[in-house]
Amino acid sequence: MERVAAIVFDRLVRLDENGAPEPELAIAWKHDAGARRWTIRLRPGVEFSDGTPLTAETVASALQFPGLERTVTVSGDGVVIESRKPMPDLLSELASLRHAIFRVLPDGSLIGTGPFRVVLWQPGSRATLAANERDWRGRAFLDGIEIQMGMPLREQRVALELGAADLAEINAGDARRQDQSSGRIWLSAPLELMAIIFAPGRPAAADASLREALARAVDRGSMRAVLLQKQGESAGGLLPQWLSGYAFLLAPADGTRPRKVGAGLPPSLRPVKLVYDEGDALAQAVAERIAVDAREASITVEVSARPSGSADSGSDPGFDARLVRLRIGSTEPRRALSELAAALGLGMPPLPAAPSAEDLYRAERALVESYQVIPLFHLPEIAGLSARVRNWQPTATGEWRLDSLWLAPEKP
Amino acid sequence: MSYRNRLLMVFGATVLAAVVLVVWGTSALTRRAFAQAERERTDALVEQVRHEFARRGEEVAKRVQGIADADATLRMAVGLAGQAPDYSLYVNEARDIAAARQLDLLEIVAGDGRIISSAHWPARFGYRNPWVTQTAEWEKIPAFLQREELVRGATLALLAVRVVRVGGKNLYIIGGQRLDREFLASLALPAGMRALLYRDVEPGFSLQSLNDASGSLAQGEKLAGLVERVRREGKEQSQTVNWSGDAADAETFYAQPLRGRGQEMLGLLLVGNSQRGVVLLGRRMRWFGAGAGGIGLLLGLALAAWLSSRITRPVEQLAAGARAVAAGDWQARVEADSNDEIGELGRAFNQMTRQLAEHRERLVQSERVAAWRELARRLAHELKNPLFPLQITVENLQRARERAPQQFDEVFRESTATLLAELRNMTAIIGRFSDFAKMPAPHLEAVSVNDLLRDSVRLFEPQFAGAGRPPIRAEFALDTEVGNIPADPVLLRRAFENLVLNTLDAMPEGGTLTVRTRRSGASVHIEFADSGVGLKPEERERLFTPYYTTKEHGTGLGLAIVQSVISDHGGRISVASEAGQGTTFHIELPAVVPAAVTRAGA
Repeated sequence: MERVAAIVFDRLVRLDENGAPEPELAIAWKHDAGARRWTIRLRPGVEFSDGTPLTAETVASALQFPGLERTVTVSGDGVVIESRKPMPDLLSELASLRHAIFRVLPDGSLIGTGPFRVVLWQPGSRATLAANERDWRGRAFLDGIEIQMGMPLREQRVALELGAADLAEINAGDARRQDQSSGRIWLSAPLELMAIIFAPGRPAAADASLREALARAVDRGSMRAVLLQKQGESAGGLLPQWLSGYAFLLAPADGTRPRKVGAGLPPSLRPVKLVYDEGDALAQAVAERIAVDAREASITVEVSARPSGSADSGSDPGFDARLVRLRIGSTEPRRALSELAAALGLGMPPLPAAPSAEDLYRAERALVESYQVIPLFHLPEIAGLSARVRNWQPTATGEWRLDSLWLAPEKP
Repeated sequence: MSYRNRLLMVFGATVLAAVVLVVWGTSALTRRAFAQAERERTDALVEQVRHEFARRGEEVAKRVQGIADADATLRMAVGLAGQAPDYSLYVNEARDIAAARQLDLLEIVAGDGRIISSAHWPARFGYRNPWVTQTAEWEKIPAFLQREELVRGATLALLAVRVVRVGGKNLYIIGGQRLDREFLASLALPAGMRALLYRDVEPGFSLQSLNDASGSLAQGEKLAGLVERVRREGKEQSQTVNWSGDAADAETFYAQPLRGRGQEMLGLLLVGNSQRGVVLLGRRMRWFGAGAGGIGLLLGLALAAWLSSRITRPVEQLAAGARAVAAGDWQARVEADSNDEIGELGRAFNQMTRQLAEHRERLVQSERVAAWRELARRLAHELKNPLFPLQITVENLQRARERAPQQFDEVFRESTATLLAELRNMTAIIGRFSDFAKMPAPHLEAVSVNDLLRDSVRLFEPQFAGAGRPPIRAEFALDTEVGNIPADPVLLRRAFENLVLNTLDAMPEGGTLTVRTRRSGASVHIEFADSGVGLKPEERERLFTPYYTTKEHGTGLGLAIVQSVISDHGGRISVASEAGQGTTFHIELPAVVPAAVTRAGA
């Protein structure tokens, strides 16, 4: 869904490989000394895919949604964003898909200014995109894109191998197989955190010794070697090394077996119920391996699937811990850490307005050593490419940039 | 109880005992035979299960050998035999191979014991198998039972291990099938039999560890005792379990231990044999036996009745003949046609009655002659006394006529007076005899026995205290419960007076007359007891014989009249006496009107 949105809708700015903002629909910006008022100048001559010009009113309307403690007003050929609180990270925020610029048609559908437009949309099933002839960057090389949604990764890989697809998501465990079968794969930097998060209010979450014992029992090295087929990184912290620069300081001490604490656990802590999202084969394999490792610490872990996307209901979710996969949505460390902490339900330690790397390290270390979360791996995004795909240039945050992609003609 | 009924009971009891014995014996023998057949059937099944185990074991070993011989396995072994092999490439191999080879369990283990791939517990890669490297020559070891840990719990499995050797390094292939519901369901068992698995040897019975082909066993805790016994004693045991109140629902289980390579007990195989067929057959046999026994019993009783009738009929005829003789029918005879003991008895009876009749006839004739003689003697005696004065008077008249005619008139007057007096005396004597001859029938009315006795005794009080003789004292012991009885007061008074008069004669030296009455059921008992001289035995025997007397001037009719009156009232009189010890007359009179007396009165 996000991948489709990224090629249909544009944002005001986007982040480059180093996390620095670069213009997209905005061509210039400035703010006051307190970063409470931002003035943004829009790119002229931009049209939506139906030919409607992009206006400041449309942009202001798209950026207004409930929950934001700021105002967006039209100012000449741009917009002004104001807030009572300083907004030093506003550009990074505007670079997220949440702040994509769109227009609502009378039938309720949305159109954007991106390189492609939606021709057919069957939620959860398939989508057909066509090149946006009015793209301000110039028309995309591809005339259209057929997207199959909800297809298991195994079937995607088969479709890729059979030539029925040009681009497919690849599971980490299948990356080597794809590679060995002379297929092309693309790996992003580790952009996803796989971790165990304990459910608040459950007895296991309240027992620090159990949480620590389970964290120490997990043999990340074996799992990475076998289940991840040596893809990704073993995670001791929340942020990957490429993003934080200090992740090696939080590296897990694999191979140090914990003392056997399980026998001393009260009955209320046995077994520890660990859930994973249904349909996530990698998560299932990791969870089952965690159960095996936990046995060595005499901790009984009962693994079960949980419908993906189901919300935790009530005070007792019915499980003690959950295996989660969280995408790192920002290339800015402070923002990425804050978003991860919020997504995990952890209270973020206080940070100065402009935190140094050491400040972030301490904060992250405090989060990790609480053992409320057990980081497991930082996983890359992996895509399989057919042989005719050319000019594949995804972004640093893993977004597929299909506007510059083209397909080589098949050999007769 | 009659002889026939006793005989019938004996015959019936004999028939019943015989029928019961036959039915019980047949049932017991049949049960034993069926139990033996069931045992043999179960032994055959258990043997079949053993064969099934062996066959499955061979099959598992063959499949595991097939995996070991496969090129893919050889390539894997080659890949793992190098320096720093990459185990991760083979982590999913076991799952795919197990699916292809239809094995429930498959582990591929490196030479150092590290699990490379596991089909039944994929997440266990990297851990070490604790036992496979401890044995060298797996090729010589057939399939064996092993307890295998799974993701959830453990299972009993039939495993085989084969080794692929490449470059001096071993690659162990451990494959097997689980002993579970599917395994039990795959056993071909005859109807009414089932196999169960108990897959736990820890102390204490675990119901979850007990399964049959359909899953967990309802009321499985009833097998806890059997499981415990096998586990404790380590050998086969059996037990019959009643699942409900109906014996047909019972099931006999034969449990045998399942042992691993080291002969350690890993579980139990229980073979259940439904008792429904045997119980229903037993019930049918019992019903049949009861029916046949009942019919046999009825036939036996009928035969016994017929036989007892055949046997007792002559005896009954003898009894009837005896009763007829007792009733005075001296001509009664019985059939005595048979030549057996009963016929002999009948002939003896007939001879006896014939002889009795002849003796009675002779006795009657002799008694009749004696009676006539006694009567003649009494008449002669009684009439001789008045006849002698008559003769003297007539002779005096003759002499006075001849010798003193002047005095003849006076003599004639005196003589005729004497003659008339003697003739009156003779008339009186003849009158008494006549009265006895025509004793009247009693006219019954309610009579107070006690009052009648007091009046009768009081009449003789002057004689009791008469001058010139020792006094006699009269005592009464009268029961007030006696009350009134139906009797003729005149005749009864006459009888009582005769008895009192008799006591006067029996106590010439004085004494005591005691009169007692007593009510006993429907009879009234009366006693006249004197303390007189008593009777000799011969006197006592003839006491009630008419005209018999021991007195000089008695007619011998007094006690005969008493007996006649008492008899006419339906009563009885008897006498008890010893010489010198007094005499007691016992009278028993009916307190209600006897039928015979009613008819006589009518």
